[in-house]
Amino acid sequence: MPELDEGEKAVCPRCVGVLFTRGRNSLHRTAACAMASAVLFVVANSFPFLTLRAGFRESQMLLWQSATGLAAEGYPYLAAAVSVLIVGAPALLIGGLLYVVMPLLWERRLPGAIPLCRWVLHARRWNMMEVFLLGVLVSLLKLGSLATLMLGTSFWAFLALIICLTAALASIHPRELWEHIDQAHR
Amino acid sequence: MRELPNEFAAARGLAVCHVCGLASPVSAGQCPRCRAGIHLRNRESLQRTWAFTIASVLLYFPANLLPILRVESIAGPQSSTIISGVIQFWHEEDYPVAIIIFVASVMIPILKIIAIVCLCLAAGAGWRPRGMTRLYRVTEFVGRWSMVDVFVVAILVGVVQLGSTISIHPGAGAVSFAAVVVLTMFAAMSFDPRLIWDAAAARAQPAHQD
Repeated sequence: MPELDEGEKAVCPRCVGVLFTRGRNSLHRTAACAMASAVLFVVANSFPFLTLRAGFRESQMLLWQSATGLAAEGYPYLAAAVSVLIVGAPALLIGGLLYVVMPLLWERRLPGAIPLCRWVLHARRWNMMEVFLLGVLVSLLKLGSLATLMLGTSFWAFLALIICLTAALASIHPRELWEHIDQAHR
Repeated sequence: MRELPNEFAAARGLAVCHVCGLASPVSAGQCPRCRAGIHLRNRESLQRTWAFTIASVLLYFPANLLPILRVESIAGPQSSTIISGVIQFWHEEDYPVAIIIFVASVMIPILKIIAIVCLCLAAGAGWRPRGMTRLYRVTEFVGRWSMVDVFVVAILVGVVQLGSTISIHPGAGAVSFAAVVVLTMFAAMSFDPRLIWDAAAARAQPAHQD
């Protein structure tokens, strides 16, 4: 494996897949984006996500209520799946990144950072916030004729959260992250 | 596993950790850096991939035949399946949405299942390794978007609560559909694209070992 300078990437000679990249200031970028994501995650989960207006009635939905609504209708497994995909996996990603990356800025490693980092890398594929966003847009159109849906504060935080978390994960290649963890002392 | 030519690390007993990418001897059993289990190829890759794929094919039928959503409004109860949702959008002249839903919920699951079957067959025969590896990457990337219909059901059920003139309930099709998406994701995860290259390498150098 070649040693890379900042901003370079290594490519597999056999299948032309990208093996490894080294970004500029990658640890600092990841830490900054993860902190921003943490704030946005709290906002996205504590304010109304969508407001429905039909006639004189109004009902509000928080982000996690899209999962609990399914449980209340007798679909606990579906509710569990939805809550893992839009709340559980993002929470694990954000919390895990902060726990692993922040101490690395001082070349330190907290206890349990190694297994947690493994979990974070696995959680990436189960984070489906951007797919949920498409679902919101489709729902707006689907209900269009029956009622009026309005986007709440949490929706905009959610949108920003997707961008920040994607940036946090894209700023550092897992391989570089592991090298930092390996070199850090406890 | 097939025998590999000597220029490959695998032939010298070295494996790259699938979690952190560190190359170390397979005999250690555990990655010295991240302590994940270490093996040359995903364990029982093809068997697991076939199992997940067959399960998702079976669930594909209820996912499309059973309703995913039941809307009760003044106009009376109305159930909709995935296909009828697409048709409804088409009739309402929301063509872009109809196309998005059709691609995400109908085409992607079918194409993904076909792609995984092709990959499994290619891993046995060593066909076109470069193209197949690209197919694998696309398959892994697009699968998640099929979840969009499940989220639409979750959002509609969550936001339209009791007391309105309309009520919306999830249907059994939504569970099957979510299961299809999750199972095909597991199938793609358990597949190891390096098996295709192993088969291709074995075919290019028949019975040549040292």
